[in-house]
Amino acid sequence: MTIHQVLFIVIALAVLGSAIFVVTTGNLFRAALMMILTFFGVAGLFVLLDIGLFAVAQVLIYIGAISILVIFAVMLTRGMQGMVPRNSQAVAAAVVAGIIFFVLLLLFGPLRTTIDVARWPVISLFAGNTSPRDVGGIEWTPPGQPIPAMPETYIADFGRSLVDLNQYLLPFLLIAFLVDVVLAGAIFVARQRRPAEVIEDRQRQAEEAAEEAEAMRRAGLTPDVAALPEGAVASTAEQH
Amino acid sequence: MQNLLNGIPLWWYLVVSAALFCIGLYGALARKNAIALLMGVELMLNAANINLLAFWRYLAPASSGGLAFAAFVLVIAAAEAAVGLALIISVYRVTRSIDPEKLDQMKL
Repeated sequence: MTIHQVLFIVIALAVLGSAIFVVTTGNLFRAALMMILTFFGVAGLFVLLDIGLFAVAQVLIYIGAISILVIFAVMLTRGMQGMVPRNSQAVAAAVVAGIIFFVLLLLFGPLRTTIDVARWPVISLFAGNTSPRDVGGIEWTPPGQPIPAMPETYIADFGRSLVDLNQYLLPFLLIAFLVDVVLAGAIFVARQRRPAEVIEDRQRQAEEAAEEAEAMRRAGLTPDVAALPEGAVASTAEQH
Repeated sequence: MQNLLNGIPLWWYLVVSAALFCIGLYGALARKNAIALLMGVELMLNAANINLLAFWRYLAPASSGGLAFAAFVLVIAAAEAAVGLALIISVYRVTRSIDPEKLDQMKL
């Protein structure tokens, strides 16, 4: 076993273990912290793939932005941390997830030594048997061939492909538009609505007072109309 | 052995990614808390990213398709987290609860 294989197994176990903790624990804050560990592990897998760019992006975006957002949301929704973690369909969900996992394993073909790319239905459309084939402008490595080295300039190529009209310019622009809309939308949805909340609170108080008055009337007492806030009497009258 | 990078066969990545995806799926289906539900979705998006980058590195490193789509997934994940958490906080402010089963105000 090479050092890389040992590293991979350690990281994979950390990723899966912390992910299982994330979906099972009742304490949301701990779940968020363990999710950070999962993201770190995934960044480690990217390092093992020799894609340092995405390891850094993973740490910056997933840990620096998304995890912090999640922790903020956990803290802003007070009292929701100790909830029962599972809903009524937890068993069905576990069964579905297990079935899908085994279907995915079957898709990998018999898990003997390595995945036989020719058995993968979609990939086998692209991967030839002997030589690299050019399908849709992409060179696919067929099974049995050594993995070609990544070009030294892969980051520059990646950047250029994002602004290349023949490659990913349109999705890139759409994504930029999406992020723009999402930022504005998130601010709009999450902003404070003070006046409406104040009105709502007044209404709730009035309803409570009206209920109290109703209870007193049932008990044979005369409600003290003068002590009620405005609107309470009207809503009591509406009910009858 | 074929298709090895640093001594790691491609299917190792695929198995880890499939397991992570299914764990995230269970989290998204079975959690009683909307924030935990979003965490499950994030795990699933991470699993998709592992798959994209592993396939790209092993099968087509000469193109930049895998990198581009992994970057798009990353951006989508960030956008989803921002809007989702804003919605959750907004819903919490109105109903004092973020249990997805109780959020049925829009049911007919």
